[in-house]
Amino acid sequence: MSEGRTNGGAEETESGFRRFLTDSAGALLFPVIAIVIAFVIGAIIVLATGNNPLAAYVALLRGAVGSPSAIGRTLLNATPLIFTGLAVAVAFRAGLFNIGGEGQLYIGAITAAGLGVSLGFLGLFAIVPVLGACIVTGFLWGAIPGFLKARFGAHEVITTIMLNFIAINLATYLALNPLSGGGLVPGTATIEPASRIPVIGLGLGRVGYGLFIALAAAVVVYLLLWRTRLGFRIRAVGLSPGAANYAGMSIGANTILALAIGGSLAGLGGGVEVLGVYGKMSIPFVSNLGFNGIGVALLGRNHPAGVVLGALLFGGLASGAQEMQFATEVPLDLADVLLAVILLFVTATKLVELIVGKRARALASGTRLEKGLGA
Amino acid sequence: MSDNGSPNGSPASPVVLEMRGVTKTFGPVKANDGISIALRRGEILGLLGENGAGKSTLMKILYGLYRPDSGEILVDGEVAEIHDPKDAVRRGIGMVHQHFTLVPRLTVAENIVLGAEPRKGASLDLEGAARSTEELCDRYGLRVDPRARVSNLSVGEQQRVEILKTLYRDARILVLDEPTAVLTPQETEDLFEVLRELVADGLSIILITHKLGELLGVSDEITIIRDGKVVDTVDASNTDEGALARLMVGRDVLLRVEKKDTKMGEPRLVAEDLTVESNSGTVAVNGVSLTVRAGEILGVAGVDGNGQMELAEALAGTRPAKEGLVYLDGEDVTRLGSEARQGRGLAYVPEDRGNKGLVQDFTLAENNALKTYNEPPISKWGWIYPKVMRRRAAEALRAYDVRPADPDLRAGALSGGNQQKAVLARELSGDPGVIVAAQPTRGVDVGAIEFIHGQLLEQRAEGKAILLISLELEEVRSLADRIVVLYAGEIVGEVGPEATDEELGLLMAGRGAEKSA
Repeated sequence: MSEGRTNGGAEETESGFRRFLTDSAGALLFPVIAIVIAFVIGAIIVLATGNNPLAAYVALLRGAVGSPSAIGRTLLNATPLIFTGLAVAVAFRAGLFNIGGEGQLYIGAITAAGLGVSLGFLGLFAIVPVLGACIVTGFLWGAIPGFLKARFGAHEVITTIMLNFIAINLATYLALNPLSGGGLVPGTATIEPASRIPVIGLGLGRVGYGLFIALAAAVVVYLLLWRTRLGFRIRAVGLSPGAANYAGMSIGANTILALAIGGSLAGLGGGVEVLGVYGKMSIPFVSNLGFNGIGVALLGRNHPAGVVLGALLFGGLASGAQEMQFATEVPLDLADVLLAVILLFVTATKLVELIVGKRARALASGTRLEKGLGA
Repeated sequence: MSDNGSPNGSPASPVVLEMRGVTKTFGPVKANDGISIALRRGEILGLLGENGAGKSTLMKILYGLYRPDSGEILVDGEVAEIHDPKDAVRRGIGMVHQHFTLVPRLTVAENIVLGAEPRKGASLDLEGAARSTEELCDRYGLRVDPRARVSNLSVGEQQRVEILKTLYRDARILVLDEPTAVLTPQETEDLFEVLRELVADGLSIILITHKLGELLGVSDEITIIRDGKVVDTVDASNTDEGALARLMVGRDVLLRVEKKDTKMGEPRLVAEDLTVESNSGTVAVNGVSLTVRAGEILGVAGVDGNGQMELAEALAGTRPAKEGLVYLDGEDVTRLGSEARQGRGLAYVPEDRGNKGLVQDFTLAENNALKTYNEPPISKWGWIYPKVMRRRAAEALRAYDVRPADPDLRAGALSGGNQQKAVLARELSGDPGVIVAAQPTRGVDVGAIEFIHGQLLEQRAEGKAILLISLELEEVRSLADRIVVLYAGEIVGEVGPEATDEELGLLMAGRGAEKSA
């Protein structure tokens, strides 16, 4: 998780590598501290409810990574969160707070559900154009709050939240009316199995190659942010609008692009869910993937590698909690409590400062919220 | 400089404040390394040092904003534990910060009593506040109308309100951090007059500054700090600017730059009847016309906030001109943006390096490429090559003596002077034809000032046209070939570099206009 650096020429390999290690350690320190604290607090809660925390956590771990099928469930949970986490992270790098991942994911999902059926005759070859269409519709949907901000100064937090309602209702309407499959389960028609993203197998259950699309998206985002002109502009605008403007970069254009790219990532995530997991968009569709993406991005310090790790943690807690509920008396909701406490400590840097001292503060620069909200 | 440092605080007067062996480290950096200072009753102690020498850290420790690792503070010979500013105020320590902390919409009296309001029963006693403010004003000869709104006051008056605030809280030890940075020469003289009256009344003052001449004129003793250590404490009446500069920097410093005659050429940067609006939509620059020729430095003097920033931005293309035209080498560039003007050979050193000149959280390599990131060889086909970026930055940083010259370092980790050198490295390495430099040495230490001045003169010798906007009269006078004075967005006069403080001061206060009209 270095901040955009691979080791350059031979002469700097050593210092570059050491820097990479310290960078990574610094980036990981805060989330790890937060996770440890959260589990301690969780243990106290479990104790208070009259259960054995050790047993609960063993069950949690078993449910998350204890068997191929458990790992499969974790990866299945994590895949869409990688997309929505990236959607938040890209916007955040431009100094924008994208709360619209939920709606953008719905837009991508309904695009995939509709087009997947009508392009079904292409078989496996339908996947690329369908996912491409999801990227486009997500991009356009994400561009709306960007445009509103650039042109009229409307705050993106408000507009992305509002657009979530519109997107969810629009997708619901389309799924139940023009695109309705007319079956017992309300929703769109089902996409031909031949046109869906295939599963990997290996005993991982329903995990498909969508996972690799998600990982590829993380790599693309990394390259975009640190290896392209556009990424350079986005980061400059995000870190210092004044300096970006002074250097001749357009704040408005980069605002629109950052939110639109975020939208395309969440849209792609919606498409991958439909093509890879459900085969259709049933109503109600899975909810909160977009909102959890915010937590994933914060936990991952808005770095693509961190987002992947954050999504795995979120996914693992969700699948582990099920096992924990089976094996012990501890309810599923403990996972939510753990997540909430983790996020609290990751974002409330002052709190952790109190616990581990001020030195940690310098290492937390990627997670400071005020930057994203102050823009 | 006048040499009237009459020792108010004779060695006989008691020490009111002593800091002993104060050490404070930030990570690997020793900001204060066993610093000891002593302030006598009725004395003005000058605290001199380059940026990053540790002056501010020491004063923040005194005011309870930082806790020292070791060392102690004695007030009136008694060890004082100062945990926060409240403790400091209780001990009679008052601080006037460089950036004022006033509420613009409230009156002077309201600002002064804010946080320690007099009460009459359950309600505020605003009349009482105004009365006690007036008493304070009378006592120390600080002329301010207690009922005036702070937003209507001049900068000098606002500073007086800040001083009154500390006096209202019974401060006996007053710390002023770079108080003259925002003042005209006359306002500075007024301030010093006030300070002399305060010490005559038994107060003691610590004056932080990097302006050598001023300290000689007003302080009794001067303590010089370098690299977190006290280098020396000297009697102000027994020293001179050269000696102080040497102590401060640790080597001989050229205080006066040597300016060679150059041949002036064609006009390269021209503004005609330029009118520019401020962020709030008011007219900030009003019908300004100026011409900068090749091989010339045109100085723009004036008190801060008279349209300098807007003028520079309109010339550089980062702010649109409402009316008027801008020509670059004869070409009308009024409609062109900053990128296009930069492509035509215009370099711009912005006045606010913290928020404009540099992206603080970018590395030096990225900052060095802030304007060239989209050009080969750093970038091809939209792709960026960080290795090339770092190599070019390393060269530029070395050439402009930026320390440390590590392209992977965050820009924000550098001292002010080195940040400014990094900006200069970027702006000048592209071999520009025209340079707009807005306050290129603001908040920069003596060593860096010397370097930056040398660079500007070198550019001038190469036939570049340079517009130098500065609040420091000394700087404008020593570098510029001609000086125009900006007041309320208009050019109110043009003088040669031989103009006196008096002449320039009158123009800067807007009083020259009537005379010449």
